[in-house]
Amino acid sequence: MLKKIGLEKLNEFVSALIEKGTLFAPVKGDAGVDFQEIKNAGDVTLDFYNTLQSPKCVFFPQTDDMVRYRLKKETTDIEEISLDFEPRIAFGIRPCDVKSFEIMDKLFTRGGIVDPYWESRRKNTTIMGYAFDAVDPADFYGAFGIHAADTTGSDVFMVKGEKNLLLKAITEKGEKLLSSVDTLEDALEEDRKYFEERLKKGAELETRTLSLEGVAGKLRDMFGSPYWEKVAAPCLNCGVCTFVCPTCHCFDIQDETLFGEGTRRKIWDSCMFTDFTLEASGHNPRTQKSQRLRQRVNHKFSYYVTNFEVTSCVGCGRCTRSCPVNIDILTVVEEAVESV
Amino acid sequence: MHNPYRPIPVEITKIVTEVDTNDIKTFRLSFVNKEDEKNFKYIPGQFAELSIFGKGESPIGIASSPTQPGYIEFTVQKAGVLTSALHDLEEGTQIGIRGPLGNSWPIDYLEGKNIVIVGGGFAFTTLRSLVNYMLYEDNRSRFGNITVVYGARTPGLLIYKNELAAWEERDDIDMYVTVDKGDETWAGREGFVPTVCKEVGPSSENAVTVICGPPIMIRFTLPVFFDLGFSKENIITSLEMKMKCGIGKCGRCNVGEKYICKDGPVFSLAELDKLTPEY
Repeated sequence: MLKKIGLEKLNEFVSALIEKGTLFAPVKGDAGVDFQEIKNAGDVTLDFYNTLQSPKCVFFPQTDDMVRYRLKKETTDIEEISLDFEPRIAFGIRPCDVKSFEIMDKLFTRGGIVDPYWESRRKNTTIMGYAFDAVDPADFYGAFGIHAADTTGSDVFMVKGEKNLLLKAITEKGEKLLSSVDTLEDALEEDRKYFEERLKKGAELETRTLSLEGVAGKLRDMFGSPYWEKVAAPCLNCGVCTFVCPTCHCFDIQDETLFGEGTRRKIWDSCMFTDFTLEASGHNPRTQKSQRLRQRVNHKFSYYVTNFEVTSCVGCGRCTRSCPVNIDILTVVEEAVESV
Repeated sequence: MHNPYRPIPVEITKIVTEVDTNDIKTFRLSFVNKEDEKNFKYIPGQFAELSIFGKGESPIGIASSPTQPGYIEFTVQKAGVLTSALHDLEEGTQIGIRGPLGNSWPIDYLEGKNIVIVGGGFAFTTLRSLVNYMLYEDNRSRFGNITVVYGARTPGLLIYKNELAAWEERDDIDMYVTVDKGDETWAGREGFVPTVCKEVGPSSENAVTVICGPPIMIRFTLPVFFDLGFSKENIITSLEMKMKCGIGKCGRCNVGEKYICKDGPVFSLAELDKLTPEY
């Protein structure tokens, strides 16, 4: 099923989507474009390269409330936050970011121990992928077999033409969504042609690349190398790389109490911070920033590969674009592997 | 959907101050709902997250044995936010618990073998669970000789004093309790754990040693067991690490690709050798 809508009627379409579920879509802010829950259709933009932060917030918000409590003199009242999440729509997700969801699924459902906060939202969400039409020099999603107009993992895949937004249903879920929105028109033969052409062109766009063969093992072999001190020397421990990353999933569990009332919540954490591994005894196995940078790189390119047979990186380029001291994870991995 | 982050309500039914410095207490917990008690099936060596709303959670080894039904026990040193808050609570207070978590002492592997338990200081909690499990009358015949070497810095720092005394009385367990330095009331053994292990000199024939203690004790005890002929497969220990979720998701307790909360905390020395040399 291929549908289309004139770009001038985008607001109408977005309004219709809001009716179908909680909509997360790109919104232009002061610093750049980011995914937000949409209340006003006019906020949504399709004019961006990629968002500053990844769309992981759709399933894994930065703060995720689990329990609200009220501390009383003798007892504590507890109210669990419902896991019956409403249907959601994730709109305008770039192909590399779509891939990140599948990578995170592996962790959040591993060994039959399911994180219900991730899984309930994930099951309830329709993903509307969105083709890139250019390549940023920081990106290297090609290294992971993803291309600029890769429809894998999307329920609906969108291509923006000069006048229209073309939408193709990839899964049953996507078909259900598209057929329920009557603001959409059926695509014509020429639209079909354009759509196919864009997919083909997407596959031909080249990003930077990296050979992943043997990387996991080589990183293991050079664990004790002084290379890590050299490469981590400029690192400021700001943690921005982990916050913008679509596959960084480390979190803390914290209680925040104010005047006897509070919330227990999951909160994004970062392996770049010293207190990430600080024990109550004062012992800390990762006091050096070189140890922490090594942890981040190895987690993604070695440990995750050993545990899940997939690299925990999609080459979206966000950490490279965001890093204040220009640490580029692709270069770090490349040089590390070469140093063995 | 089952929520592994949801703490199960339990009530503190008994608190025992274990040491003369007052900073180590054993908390006996009973399940508020009988259904939860039935579902909480654990094996010695596992741990659980203790939870107090407003203070957070802390991963603590289970000190009781599943052969002691009706309650579970945790021996906790006052150290951080949660454990300090816990130490201030009184009997009758309700708290939360998540678990059981982690792997366990390898009971199947230990069966039919002579077991040498080596503990130091406060790190005797899950070892106590294991000893009580093996001494349980229905289980005792499944294991060979049981030898326990347990030491603390001073007599006042030995935990489970009544239980140690009761075990001394039994003839199906060999007890060697020692302190680094005795006091005027101490009539027992003096000496460091590694030295005592050497004196006791347990045979490595069909034997496994299970060791828990401060790093310094472990460092000097291991060579003793190597000299006695114990292979790395037959030296088993339990690791500690900062944890939050306890179920292998939150990402902080890894050593290389292994997560201490999920793949551990129990490892043999042979398994530890294969880990990334992070610590």
